[in-house]
Amino acid sequence: MRFALAVAAAFLIPLGASQVAAHHSMSMFDTTREVRVTGTVTQFQWSNPHAYIQMVSTDAQGNEVEWSMEMGSPMYLYARGWRPRTLRPGTVVTVRAYPLRNGRPGGVVLDVTDEDGNTIGTNQ
Amino acid sequence: MKTALAAIIALGVSLGAAPALAEHHEADNDRVEQFAQLPYWPGYWVAENQAGTTIGGIAPAILAARETGEFPTNFMNLRGANAPWNEEGLRRLEEARAINAGRKATGWGFPMMMNAATPLQFTITPEQVLIVNAYGEVRYVYTDREMPDEFDLWPTVRGTSVGRWEGDTLVIETIMVRSPIEYFHGAPPFSEEAHYEERIRMEGDRLVSDVTVTDPVTLTEPFVTQVSWIRDEGFDRMIEIDWDNDRTGVDENGVNTIEMEVVE
Repeated sequence: MRFALAVAAAFLIPLGASQVAAHHSMSMFDTTREVRVTGTVTQFQWSNPHAYIQMVSTDAQGNEVEWSMEMGSPMYLYARGWRPRTLRPGTVVTVRAYPLRNGRPGGVVLDVTDEDGNTIGTNQ
Repeated sequence: MKTALAAIIALGVSLGAAPALAEHHEADNDRVEQFAQLPYWPGYWVAENQAGTTIGGIAPAILAARETGEFPTNFMNLRGANAPWNEEGLRRLEEARAINAGRKATGWGFPMMMNAATPLQFTITPEQVLIVNAYGEVRYVYTDREMPDEFDLWPTVRGTSVGRWEGDTLVIETIMVRSPIEYFHGAPPFSEEAHYEERIRMEGDRLVSDVTVTDPVTLTEPFVTQVSWIRDEGFDRMIEIDWDNDRTGVDENGVNTIEMEVVE
């Protein structure tokens, strides 16, 4: 089976002359800006090489938009206090993320807060 | 009569078994002593500058580097960013760079598994040291024998390793590693003729490894670097992961993106 290593985020900044063009380089995300998306979780995929939060939010025009929020490998999530059932469908969360550069509704997660504004997990 | 016979047989068995049992206990005691003399490195070790990797898979050292503009030292050193590459080494790097987009790997391989955010576990026995990561990659470092004869060796992703203890330092010699960059795009382009020496020991609460790589094919001189690990917080067991949800695709502009379904 081919799979992607959950290492791409390691290559977040250029590495000089020997810069690695990783399979999953962070170049797919716009790391110069952040988005903050509040919405309802439809699915939490506890999976490798990445976990994903599928969530639906409402855009400025009142349309529902489904976002794919990418996370690291479950091993990192576990170490930061996350578990497979940390997020259940119907949970409302706010995700801070670097967005996809191509404009599609997705990004790489920086942190996640619950409805009360509490950060989920330790993330440090 | 029957009772007497049974007693005699039982006695015979007992008398015969006694020396064997004693030897067995002696062997057990020897082994306990052997273990007692070995270092003990329990826990889950993560490369020092990647400890604290966030839920987004981003190392804090990298986030900090974005603020300062200075790349952190001791970060994935085994990639060989500053290695003394010769013409062939540089050619291999350039060749890999040209085809890196979209490449996928089936693991870290050696040496990069020793330099990853992925936790490592060291299991030390009198006969061998097992080094295991969360991707199920295992290095078998035999400490009770010499390197196999050349006739018995062939290149593999993790190579063939033998080790020895110099005091509390584990010295590992590894050869016959498939060119790492062919296996994992972020790896160095050493050849199958490369020889790797690692000297691993505890320094306080850290594990430190001095690494020397010699490779007549890709290096002008030995590449010397250091890798260190700490016990990252939050790991209390090796996390089992299956590789069944690779959603990274390539968009119409040839840039990676997130797809809704698994990308084969």
